[in-house]
This record gives sequence, C-alpha cells and structure tokens, in this order.
Amino acid sequence: MAMMPPSTPGTPTVAVAPQAIIIEPGSTSSIRQRRTGGKILSYALLTFAGLFFAIPLLWTISSSLQTWQELRSYVPHFLPEMPQWNNYIQVFTLVPFARWMLNSLTIVLINIPGTILTATLTAYAFARFNFVGKNVWFVLLLSTMMIPAIVTFIPQYLLFFNLKFIDTYIPLTIGSWLGGSAFMVFLLRQFIMTIPRELDEAAIVDGANPLRILFSVIMPLMKPALITVAILQFLADWNDFFGPFIYINTMLKYTAAVGLRTFQTMALEITDPRDHLLMAGAAIMTIPVLILFAVAQRYFVSGVVMSGLKL
Amino acid sequence: MSPAQRRQNLYGYLFLTPWLIGFFGLFIGPGLYSFYLSFTKYDVISAPIFVATRNYVDMFTKDDLFWSSLARTGYYAIVSVPLSVFGSMFLAILLNSKLRGITIFRTLFFMPSLVPLVASVILFKILLNSDFGLVNAGLRGLGIQDPPGWFADSRWSIPSLILVRLWGSLGGTQMIIFLAGLQGIPTELYDAASIDGAGAWQRTRHVTIPLLTPTIFFNTVLGVIGALQTFAAAFIATEGGPNFSTWFFALHIWKQAFDYFNMGYAAALAWFFALVIVALTLVQMRLSRRMVFYMGE
Repeated sequence: MAMMPPSTPGTPTVAVAPQAIIIEPGSTSSIRQRRTGGKILSYALLTFAGLFFAIPLLWTISSSLQTWQELRSYVPHFLPEMPQWNNYIQVFTLVPFARWMLNSLTIVLINIPGTILTATLTAYAFARFNFVGKNVWFVLLLSTMMIPAIVTFIPQYLLFFNLKFIDTYIPLTIGSWLGGSAFMVFLLRQFIMTIPRELDEAAIVDGANPLRILFSVIMPLMKPALITVAILQFLADWNDFFGPFIYINTMLKYTAAVGLRTFQTMALEITDPRDHLLMAGAAIMTIPVLILFAVAQRYFVSGVVMSGLKL
Repeated sequence: MSPAQRRQNLYGYLFLTPWLIGFFGLFIGPGLYSFYLSFTKYDVISAPIFVATRNYVDMFTKDDLFWSSLARTGYYAIVSVPLSVFGSMFLAILLNSKLRGITIFRTLFFMPSLVPLVASVILFKILLNSDFGLVNAGLRGLGIQDPPGWFADSRWSIPSLILVRLWGSLGGTQMIIFLAGLQGIPTELYDAASIDGAGAWQRTRHVTIPLLTPTIFFNTVLGVIGALQTFAAAFIATEGGPNFSTWFFALHIWKQAFDYFNMGYAAALAWFFALVIVALTLVQMRLSRRMVFYMGE
C-alpha cells in the first residue's frame, strides 16, 4: 500500500507497480470532459424530475385563478387571462371553509399537547425504568404498527357509537391523550436513550422524583424530538380523512379535508362547474402546511431522518 | 423483590398508565370484539347473531368482489412499491451530488409530499380530466390522438392512482431517509473503488446500492404495508369505480362495514386482511436476512 500514489477522490488511477503507471496523453482532459458530461446529465435529470413535481403545483395556483370557462377550454390556458382572486373569496362564502379550517385546527391543538405529554411518559418508561414485563409491552407496542387501521376502525366505531360520541371530536382526539401513536412513542424513546443517564442520576441525588426529572431535566433536552412529534401530529390530523368522515355528521363540524371532498359534489346555489373553486380550496388547505414547513424546516428533516434510520 | 425493583415497577407502570388504557381500550378490546363479531351477523340495529365460520366461508366462496379486490390490491402494490422505493432512491442519489442549486431541487421535490391527500387527489382529477385536463392536452400536443381517460377509464384508473401516489411521495419521507443513508456511506469506500478503476455507474452499483440495502428494506416493508391498505385516494377520487376498477380490498371492507352495515362480515374480512399483511411482513423480514447487508457485521 505504501507504494500506491496518492489519489484524489473520483480520479481513476491504475493500481499497479509504480513503474507501470502510464498516463496516456489527453486522459486528464477526457476525465474533465466526462465530469462535465456527468454534470450536464445530472442537471438534465434533476430538471426533468423538478418539472414532474413543479407542474402540478404551479397548475394548482394557475387554475385556481381561472374562470371555469377557461379551465374547461379544450386548449388549456397556462396563465389566467385575468387572475380571478374572487375564486378564493367564493370558497369562503359558498361553503363554510373558514369554519372547517378552524375545526381542523381545533383538533390539532387538542392533540398536540396530548401526544407530547402521554407519548413522552410512555417513551420515558420504556427508556429508563426496568419494570417487570417491559420487553413484552414494548414488542406489543411495536406490533400495533403492523396491524391495518381498518381492523380496529370498525369496532372502535361501534364503541364510540354506543358511547354516543358520534358527531363529537372525542373519537378524533382521545387516542392522542392515551399514548399517541406507537410510532411517536418509539421515536421519543430512541431520542431519550441518547440522553446520558447521568443527568437522571444527578437529579435523583438531588432528591427529585421521576416525574420531576422528566419534566424539568429530560423534556427540555427533548425539544427537537418534541417539535418533530408536534409536526407529525399536525400533519396526521390536518390530512386525516376517514376519521372525521365517519365520526362527524354535521356539516359545520367538518374538517377541511372532509369539507373539501364534500365540496366536489354538494348541492349549492350555483350549478356551474366548480373545478376552479376546488383548486382554490386545495391551495388554501395546503398553505398552513407550507407555512409550518417553512418555519420548522430544520426539525422537519431531522425528525424524518431520526424516525427512519433507527427503526 | 428489592425496594429498588419495586420502585422501578411502580414508576414504570405509573408512567405507562395512559398508554395501557389506550392499548386495551382502543386496540386490544376493540380488536377482540371485532374477532368475536367476525363469527356473527351484525347490522348495528339488532343484536349480533352467532353464525360460526360462515363469514369466513362466504368470503372465499360467495363474494364476487373478494378475489378481484385482492388481485387489484396486489396489482397496485406490485407496481407502486418498486416504482416508489427505487424512484426515491434514484432522486436521493441525484440530490447527493455537490452541484450548485441542489437545495432548491431538494425543497421542490419535497413540497408535493406536504400537499394533503384530499387536495392532491382533487388536483390530479382535474389535471387528468380526459377532455380538459392539462395532461391530455400535452399528450395531444405530442401527437397522441386518443389519450387515456385516466380516472374515467377502468384500465387507467389504477395507474392514475399510482401517479398521484408517486407525485406525492417520491420526494417525501422516503427520499429523505435515503439521503440520510447515503450520507452515512464512508467516502473511503468510493475512493477505494475509484482506485480499482470503477466508474460512476460501477461505484453506484457496487458501493452505494449494497450499502443502502437496509434503507431499501425499511422503505419496502413500510411501502408494502401502506400500499396494501391504500384506499383513501381511491375513495376520494372514484369511490371504487369506474366499473369497480379501483375497488381495493380495504375499500371493500369499508363498504361492507359503513355502507351496507354488514359489520360481522366486514370484521371477518378485516381479520383475514390483517393476517395477510402480517404474513407478508414476516416473509419480507425472513428474505431480508439474505439480501440486506449491514455494515460492521
């Protein structure tokens, strides 16, 4: 190995006895050409993929600002003749879209503290205490992730039906106050395990009880993980369709997701095609998620990585 | 039991209490109840009638939609999971280069995964409208006289759903997980491969992909579980149509339960379905022992 010439990464070098290294004339320029060629190819592929993702996004905005006649023309208009900002107002006046968004937000705001509190308690128990039966419970927790939601959905519906919880937000929020999802518990447990145990032990010496240790020593250190969980909870609730669809009957209690879906077909005083309004609704519903992403981008990506890699 | 151990038990179960209530109240309890229901005929209004294994026999022998919805679900999973896993991997490899402007591409690729499903399904229904949709206008512009009817055509409805899914997920979580996996590959390995004369393709083939197998495996297992359960997009876009072409197995369970109120039969279907998914997951885990390479072993 000692005889091998130092090589720069990415430069093909012939690994034989030093005398035998023959550098062909012009080979360095061919490498450079190949690299430029590779770069062009990379950019071409990136642009191609970028168009695949960008066109529908741009079309959402453009079509939401068109009239339905424009949107229904055989030759599409890439840009609206005259931006119809009124479409966005109509979404709020034809259907109670603001109310639906507020309902979604209500559910989110009930669920985030619930998950943060109860999933953290569960995660801390699995990360720090050595109680009897711990491994069995942990395997049970993880195996709940494999069971299709539809299996428990039917009996849960019957349960809430018999408890007269239909048309309330209880079925949509109770789970987050009872440990949240298995996935979030797992994510938080993994994070707690990276916090040195010495911190807990020092607090015990100071006479703090476990609850106090969790709240005043551990949880402040868990900020990135807790923000991740809050984001995941927001997305889950904001996007959830079947939960509110089956449990909520009153139109004014709909969430934005259910409302937008209903808006496709519901009877309104206008009978014109409403594709342009649906697109405006889709855009309105996406905006809060984009804002959240912009604000919490750092945690977003690290949270995804954290949740994915350690499983 | 030592006092220390007793303390561990006390606090362990104390902290676990909310989750235990949820686990028994919302998961085990309802799960067992649905297992019981699967042996009954139950329409919610009158009390369940015990019918022994009749639901399980009926699904295999009398239900026309059972096998066809199972086959459709399989078709959807077999096409969408490899496209989605390898598509995300490909995008991640592209993004892993140190080219200028790469973060703009990364953000752009990620953005569709933030669009709520209901919104993206509605968007694609309009994009893929057979007469006025942007996609068919483009296809006609390319000289294709008779472009597909997409959601309105029973041969194209599943490909349309796959397209929605790929758009909304290729650049999302999966891709980010692949990117993190790529960043964990030591650069020495690439240097060593280069010294041995490996070009870009060979480095990808013999270094990158083998070291990404744990990530590929992880994404495939989750992808299969997700794809088999899919029906939200089908429900929102076409409600199983046209001509039952997007009538997936999970949608079949849903319709039996909440449209026809055959709760007992739906519970039997759901239990059969759970068994299939668990079995497939275990098979994948078994296969992975031969195919997944873990660094440091």
